[in-house]
Amino acid sequence: MAEAALRALEVFASPDRLALLLAGILAGIVVGLLPGMGGIVAVSLILPYVFRMDAVAAVAVLTGALAVVHTSDTITSVLIGAPGSAASATSVIEGHPLARQGQAARALSAAFLSSMIGGLLGALGLTLSIPVARPLVLSMGAPELFMLTALGVSYAGSLLGKEVRKGLLSGLLGMLFGLVGPSPAAAQVRFDFGSLYLMDGLPLAVVALGIFGVAEVVNLLAEGGSIAQAPGLGRGWLEGVRDVLRHRWLVVRGALIGIWAGILPALGATAGTWMAYGHVVATSRDRENFGKGDIRGIIAPESANNAVAAGDLIPTLLFMVPGSASAAILVGALLRYGILPGPRILTEHLDLVYVVIWSYALANVIGAGICFAASPALARVTQIPFAKLAGPVLVAMMLGAYQASQELGDLVTLLLLGTLGWGMASAGWPRAPFLIGFVLVGPMERYFVITKNLYGWTWLARPGVWIIGAALLAPFVWGLVRWSRGRGSRSASPPSGSAPARSALDVGVSAAVLGGFALAALLAVGLVPGARELPLFVALAGCGLGAVQLVEALRGRTGPAEGQLDPNRLRGGAIILAGLCGFVGVTAALGFLPGVAALTLWVTWKLARMHPGWAVAYTVAVAAGVHALAGLLALHLPGGRLSL
Amino acid sequence: MVALVLVALLGVGASGAAPYYAGKSVEIIVPTSPGGPSDILVRAMAPYLERHIAGSPSVRVRNMPGGGTILGSNWFALNAKPDGLTLLAAPVGATIAYIIKNPAVRYDFRNFKLVAVSGSGAVFYASPRVGVRRAADLPQARDLVMGSPSPPGNVLTAIVAMELLGVSPKVVFGFEGVGPARLAFERGELTLDFQSTIVYVTQVQPLVAAGRAVPLMTLGYLDERGQVVRDPALRDLPTVYEVYQQIYRRKPDGLLRWKAFRALFAAGWVYGRGLWAPGGTPPEILRELHEAVDRMNRDPEFQRDVAQRLLEGYALHRGDRVEAVVHRNLQITLDVVKFIRDLVRQKYGQEI
Repeated sequence: MAEAALRALEVFASPDRLALLLAGILAGIVVGLLPGMGGIVAVSLILPYVFRMDAVAAVAVLTGALAVVHTSDTITSVLIGAPGSAASATSVIEGHPLARQGQAARALSAAFLSSMIGGLLGALGLTLSIPVARPLVLSMGAPELFMLTALGVSYAGSLLGKEVRKGLLSGLLGMLFGLVGPSPAAAQVRFDFGSLYLMDGLPLAVVALGIFGVAEVVNLLAEGGSIAQAPGLGRGWLEGVRDVLRHRWLVVRGALIGIWAGILPALGATAGTWMAYGHVVATSRDRENFGKGDIRGIIAPESANNAVAAGDLIPTLLFMVPGSASAAILVGALLRYGILPGPRILTEHLDLVYVVIWSYALANVIGAGICFAASPALARVTQIPFAKLAGPVLVAMMLGAYQASQELGDLVTLLLLGTLGWGMASAGWPRAPFLIGFVLVGPMERYFVITKNLYGWTWLARPGVWIIGAALLAPFVWGLVRWSRGRGSRSASPPSGSAPARSALDVGVSAAVLGGFALAALLAVGLVPGARELPLFVALAGCGLGAVQLVEALRGRTGPAEGQLDPNRLRGGAIILAGLCGFVGVTAALGFLPGVAALTLWVTWKLARMHPGWAVAYTVAVAAGVHALAGLLALHLPGGRLSL
Repeated sequence: MVALVLVALLGVGASGAAPYYAGKSVEIIVPTSPGGPSDILVRAMAPYLERHIAGSPSVRVRNMPGGGTILGSNWFALNAKPDGLTLLAAPVGATIAYIIKNPAVRYDFRNFKLVAVSGSGAVFYASPRVGVRRAADLPQARDLVMGSPSPPGNVLTAIVAMELLGVSPKVVFGFEGVGPARLAFERGELTLDFQSTIVYVTQVQPLVAAGRAVPLMTLGYLDERGQVVRDPALRDLPTVYEVYQQIYRRKPDGLLRWKAFRALFAAGWVYGRGLWAPGGTPPEILRELHEAVDRMNRDPEFQRDVAQRLLEGYALHRGDRVEAVVHRNLQITLDVVKFIRDLVRQKYGQEI
């Protein structure tokens, strides 16, 4: 084996192949930077060229692109607060606050280093697990897969925030949105309101971008000023490195979680990242700082999301069961070269498997190096008045969302979920449980139904189920022990100092959420058996909790403290959201470029208060940039009814 | 910038001034996410289309997922101009939705012109535990359990095939695809499975060699006259048609359940991979495309890289030669549609 590994390394001695790997890496980095676009866009972008190369080069360039998407997506998440891809939304939660505190450099260097090490550990894990991977994957039956998704959901328990009820409602709401679309076990589409767009469910990229990205950008714009509230970039580069060294075991744990999530076809990159994040929060003693910029909350997930892609290669190469759409494309490319993934690949094409692993490892190192080198310049972005950046940022988000299914529905979904995310963020509702609920509800329901139908009740007797069950319960038992030991010593957590008063926004969000659950409950009753059980449960639980929440909100017992809600900022946010509605309207009527022009002009002239002449010049430049980018990356732009 | 780098590195070659397609760009709509079987096939074919369509247009793939393949297909029907520059690669899902008359379907294959079509086969195999040595023993098998995504989709073909043979396996819905169902078979959770030929050959034959799977039968294939023949990729295995005769000592022709099976098998498999142009496309443009198919079939590189490896050896037909046959096979009568719906409702509790 070692011999095959070395022979595969020789492949990269040729400058041509190294150049191709580099091209793949560059493509991955650029696509990762663009908000909402992930590996699948990167791979689709280079695929037309791939089929003109030889097998080794093709594999190298595809793997290279896939490997680095989750390195560079962090940049957008940290600096702008819009997730560079769905799997890096955790870095919006922890990294973006650091950028706002003027510590962008520290956050980025910690993220890149963890990404790189996570990727390398992933490659190592891939190498080591090749001999045992088949039995390992086959040992996980439907009951174990179900328990693993339940474990992921339990990690969300540590992310519920101070107001547990809101956290639970947020998770239930995410599950409800995740249930839109085809039911896994019955031939029925749920909550589609007769719309074809909703028939396949909501695209994850759009949901992540809406719930996290829109709210951050709107708030930044409404506040005015630049992203970093503190002057200077911070000399954080070394500090970030030191953070990673200090928390080196977190990097390893994150990578292990990521590899597992990749190996199991049920989970995927986003779930793996969130599980790593939940795991860090759950196992940390001091949790006060999470959500406000805790470096540990960057390190573990960033390590995990680079390791996931390595784990994903195991079912892809050994079973021809790709865990993601981008891995499916890799399978397609291999087939085209007559290389058949499956049990025989280890005997017939072992060298190629090592080419994949080496490409993966090299790409992680080179990609992190490039991101490191580019970041000081990029981090300066946080010093510019944000209103001047907002035009292109908003446009890039819309463009990213639209690549999900190329329907106007993508933009409408982005806007609606953006409004929801903004309302939640402003009224003190945690958004992390929402995304976890959204991502995991599908596999959880799927594997529960399969388990129930295949095993009846006997699944509860399987040892794997007991082991995972123990892992699931351990944090709760541990928490109970700690609580009984140190009762009273830890400050009574209910927010005591600042007594919250009734906030109209919190009442509004609570009422909207309750209304949503009530509507869902009504609709769920009409579904066929087999499709309705989980939606009904989620909706009824949401109705119950939501009713309590609404009452408490009306009494003014929940919600952000009065001082935290600046009415000017809220009004500003509402105006900007209205402006975005206008953008979608113009796009629907006239096409994307007129929409881009109108939006950019409005933002630069009215919000950034540029001189009208400059505003027009800037707008023209942005529109031309969008046009050029779309041409280069072969992206499609929404066309209007009166298409221009 | 990236694309520039790639272009510079690879030197995309486009040359020659030729008739209609010179300097133009062809867009192929694939109504699924990237990575699906039809997407992979189309992407592998794209460079050969570029090479063989006179004038060497650039050929791009556009994925329009949504509505379980219906959204992109509807978009094509409503928006594609008949200029030969927008084509539709209809995947099996779009074809099945069409033949079982899903009310959301807004496209009608009778209004399209066929550019090229290819097919695929599929194989049934079982676990040795069920006590079956050949397909004709299936009615005596114990504990047959199949797994599948929720219907409709290709599972309909398997369900109707089993009904035809008088076999009632338990079907567990909920799998996210046929790949995870195959893993569940390998784990021993399922005892009966059904996979396309390429997957069978690469993933299941090693299990057969190890004594962990028993090959049963293929769906079969149709010759030019519409007769059922053995699958050209797996000639040693009997077809569903033969197995019926072994069990019942007569031919199934004329039975409603045979008609249902044949409809699904023809539309979903034998003619399951069609490349379509909008209806009003001028004949001279269609001729350019059809001649390109001929040239592709003569290109040894295409034969090796795509025909053998991705089409599994099934022929790529020139659209105009088989168009009438394909159109005939895509129209099924209402009694057959009703039979399929009733079967799926009564036996499996699913409303399609």
